[in-house]
Amino acid sequence: MEKENTPETTIPSAPTPQPAPIKTMKEKDIKSVSVKQRVVKILVQVGLYTFLTILAISILFPFYWMLISSLKTLTEYNETIPTLWPRQFCWDNYVTAFTGELNLGRLFLNTVIVGVVSTLLSLVVTIISAFAFARLEFKGKNLMFGALLATMMIPGELFTITNYITVSAFGWLNTFTVLIVPFLVSVFYIYLLRQNFMQIPNELYLAAKVDGTSDFKYLWRVMVPLSAPTLISITILKMMGAWNSYIWPLLVANDSAHKLVTVGLRGTAFVDLATNMINYPAQMAAVVIVTIPLLLVFIFFRKYIMRGVSRSGIKG
Amino acid sequence: MKVVLQHLTKIFPSRNKKDKGAEVIAVNDFNLEIPDGKLIGLLGPSGCGKSTTLFMISGLQTPSDGKIFFGEDDVTELAPENRGIGLVFQNYALYPHLTVQQNILFPLQNLKGENRLSKEEMLRRADEVAKLVQIDEYMNRKPSELSGGQQQRVAIARALVKMPRVLLLDEPLSNLDARLRLQTREEIRRIQRDTGITTIFVTHDQEEAMSISDYIVVMKLGVIMQTGKPQWVYDDPANLFVAKFLGTPPINVFTGKVENGYLYIGDEKVLDVGGVEDQEVYVGIRPEGFLLDAEGGLSCKVSGIDVMGRDISVVSTNPNAISPIVRSIISSDEIRNIAGDTVRFKLKEHKVFIFNKETELRVHFGGQIAMHEKMVAEMQAEGQAYTTHTGPLPREADDKVKQDTHVEQKKGFLAKVKGLLPKKKSNEKPVGSTEDKPAEEPQENQPSEE
Amino acid sequence: MTKEKTEKPVLTDEQKKIRRKAIFNRYKAWLYLLPAIVILLIFTVWPIFNTIRMALLKNYDSMKELGGMSFEFGFDNFVSVVHYNKFLTCLGNTMLLTIITVPVSTMLALLVAVALNSIKFLRRAFQTIFFLPYVTNSIAIGMVFMTMFQMIGNINNPVSLGIINSIIEALGGTRVNWVNVGSNYWANITVLAIYIIWNALPFKILVLLGGLQGVNKQYYDAAKVDGASRWRIFWRITVPLLSPMIAYVVITGFIGGFKEYSSIVGIFGDTMGPVGNKGSLNTMVGFIYDNIQENQGRASAAALILFAIILVVTMINLYVSKKKVHY
Repeated sequence: MEKENTPETTIPSAPTPQPAPIKTMKEKDIKSVSVKQRVVKILVQVGLYTFLTILAISILFPFYWMLISSLKTLTEYNETIPTLWPRQFCWDNYVTAFTGELNLGRLFLNTVIVGVVSTLLSLVVTIISAFAFARLEFKGKNLMFGALLATMMIPGELFTITNYITVSAFGWLNTFTVLIVPFLVSVFYIYLLRQNFMQIPNELYLAAKVDGTSDFKYLWRVMVPLSAPTLISITILKMMGAWNSYIWPLLVANDSAHKLVTVGLRGTAFVDLATNMINYPAQMAAVVIVTIPLLLVFIFFRKYIMRGVSRSGIKG
Repeated sequence: MKVVLQHLTKIFPSRNKKDKGAEVIAVNDFNLEIPDGKLIGLLGPSGCGKSTTLFMISGLQTPSDGKIFFGEDDVTELAPENRGIGLVFQNYALYPHLTVQQNILFPLQNLKGENRLSKEEMLRRADEVAKLVQIDEYMNRKPSELSGGQQQRVAIARALVKMPRVLLLDEPLSNLDARLRLQTREEIRRIQRDTGITTIFVTHDQEEAMSISDYIVVMKLGVIMQTGKPQWVYDDPANLFVAKFLGTPPINVFTGKVENGYLYIGDEKVLDVGGVEDQEVYVGIRPEGFLLDAEGGLSCKVSGIDVMGRDISVVSTNPNAISPIVRSIISSDEIRNIAGDTVRFKLKEHKVFIFNKETELRVHFGGQIAMHEKMVAEMQAEGQAYTTHTGPLPREADDKVKQDTHVEQKKGFLAKVKGLLPKKKSNEKPVGSTEDKPAEEPQENQPSEE
Repeated sequence: MTKEKTEKPVLTDEQKKIRRKAIFNRYKAWLYLLPAIVILLIFTVWPIFNTIRMALLKNYDSMKELGGMSFEFGFDNFVSVVHYNKFLTCLGNTMLLTIITVPVSTMLALLVAVALNSIKFLRRAFQTIFFLPYVTNSIAIGMVFMTMFQMIGNINNPVSLGIINSIIEALGGTRVNWVNVGSNYWANITVLAIYIIWNALPFKILVLLGGLQGVNKQYYDAAKVDGASRWRIFWRITVPLLSPMIAYVVITGFIGGFKEYSSIVGIFGDTMGPVGNKGSLNTMVGFIYDNIQENQGRASAAALILFAIILVVTMINLYVSKKKVHY
């Protein structure tokens, strides 16, 4: 830095011998290369959008078919070549779905009762368990948590056999209890929430301790609100689970007072006993009615559902 | 390969759709001619657009305006793969699942048509370039098994293996520790000389740029401030920003005025600047520009002396200095001349730069005028246009706004916690408040509020 | 502990309170866990042991056991299950469906994820559409698929062809008896595979797209500078970098595949087969449920076999992915 006069030295820039460089383009090539480049870019874009559009149509088509089928008259539905758009909208199918043998209203009510009660109870159990695993110290904590996680490996069907025997012995068949209690504890949700709780800075907990706040108060006032997104995810997934559950309800609560939506839907409610023909438009109307609430929930809680799902790998 | 940038401009559209005015001009009317086979350092504080400029040269970003020429070829529209460039990323971007050898071979395996190489030829080239950067011992390792410096050299090898026309390096040394940094920058210099490939590298570290570049380009807020050989730019800064940005320890800046051909700092007449018009000025004095002299014009209050061996550094204060301390470097022989609280300095004329207070542009005086003209002439003789920024300087204020919005976005989880905590506190007060705690309360909060 | 003992006789009320609180604090965690533990013990832990027990008892019947009957120990259930034709059908169907649907849906999901990741316009709309099958009732939509594929009336001279057959005929093909009486096994499997893939795509796309967005963009920039073609970038960069996600999707896909049940109920009803061919498409899970009321020993043996298969397949997957996924 001390040098006062301008340095006279010029840097020698003579390159030492080197392997022949890979042939670079001549000037006239450049025009054609940039044209080619642009064409390829456009073709790729066209290809991408075509691929995505075709696939999107295949994904959407069943929904479309469900909707238009539910609005066709039985005669139109039974035409040799199905029409792609109903000639006239037959809203009666929806009336049939509700008033017919299916008794959709009752199914809805049952499902909502089971869904809401099991979700609420499950949330409470999940929150306090996750808290114990995240913040409290006790002997055998890690061992127990590990054991819980290990049970996630086991397919649920393995439990079902014994559980069926157990609930029969308890005399719980054809009650709401049997639809709610056995699935109150989800190890996965406890795990999910515990991870979330662990991310909350410990300083907050210590600060609360200094204030003399009890664990319980801290849990409800700080941890729960801070984990709201995860809790919402859990709530929605749990509700969806109730809405979609089929096997267990079919097995243990198949009477009309406790039957759930999906079980009723797959039953024989739309068979015309005289002709042994199924009233498909009415059935499709029922399917629409069952499908719409889920789609609405999805539209409003898209973010939470996707968040929960990407970490679960379990449907419902 | 000569690289020419003409009126290069990059405007990033505003991220917030509602606020169209918030678009960011990252690079503004950038003109530069880079001679063949030279090593160029793009230098500036973070956010000055140097990386954006580099990425536009690479083709990874498209200029909003302007043209890029490699030699005579207009490559502005060309995709990166067709430009014949090598690029070394700040984080090296080595493919983590490939070995060193596979990483180096990757660009060769992509060659098509008449450029296609035989397998043996590929291996030969990879070997050759690995030897050049001295990583031939590690060919079968994965990047994660290499040190930072080794990864860096693999990245350079990967960029060099297809013999690019231009080599681009983005902050190549920023991820290395101090010792490796020194070593690696010499390495880069060596490799560049051995291959003779025109090389452009980006850095925010002025020392790094000065030590290995043939030319440096100092940028601020997307605008070129000055170009030239490192020593020239250091000795002849075109404006206050460049003067302040180059040099360690940094230049000392004072407010002052020119009156009747004399330079004043405060009331003290410090230098004869005959020929300069009367005006308010900033005075920049390099630390090595001070001479202890009982008769000297500038007086400072001594607050400490750092002994650095051959030289000593006198730390002092002056009411007209912009920074809190004035640092001067003098020969250690002079130490006995420091007695008492106050020292007086005589100034070396060529180490004193004066800048108009309004424009912050340099005002040459005395011998500086001839020296400046000589430098410009030499530079033109080397085929490099002398560029300085002459218009109004871009203001830091723009920079501030950008930073603030950045912080806004970063608010995440903890900000939410912060919002939540006071609410909880006020709720808990009646239950939890104890007489002996209130003093500690704010402290308890601090870690979580950070 | 000893301290407490010596102090015991002179405890004041206040001290008792503090002591009670200390005891409470020591067991507090267990109190928090109590509801979960009780339910898990009854409905998760007990079943694990009981299933093994039942599987190992000859001709086990829970009702008879309640009546005081005891059963002989032995491996008869396992032996009879693997010699039981119905079980082998179920096992075959399950394996076939899994082997078809997991690779196809993973590949398709990977392509969609990469495509979605490289477009800007309409990306969110596409993303939403591709996620829709996830938020549906698989029984309900299965019924829709059934109506799309089925013919109405006599098979040789149907009243209605159904939309899929109409499309096939419009394109110049011949109609296929997909799901009706007398339909071919492979036609049935095709319909099921299409539906299962349709159903499995959303989750896979979601995970893979999430993985793609987590990949450092610089690798792609570097590959572009290195002149790699899109094809090469896909195979040499994207797939390896995404391999942990792909492994995850494949493993969960296999587990889900082996537990396939409700899509078959959706399309064919709980007869688990086209009319006149009851049970021809039944799966492992279906087999377990068929035996749950009458023959719990056999159901338990089947459940344990299912668990073993899932375990082995998962282990193989993990082993393979460990060899392939390491960086």
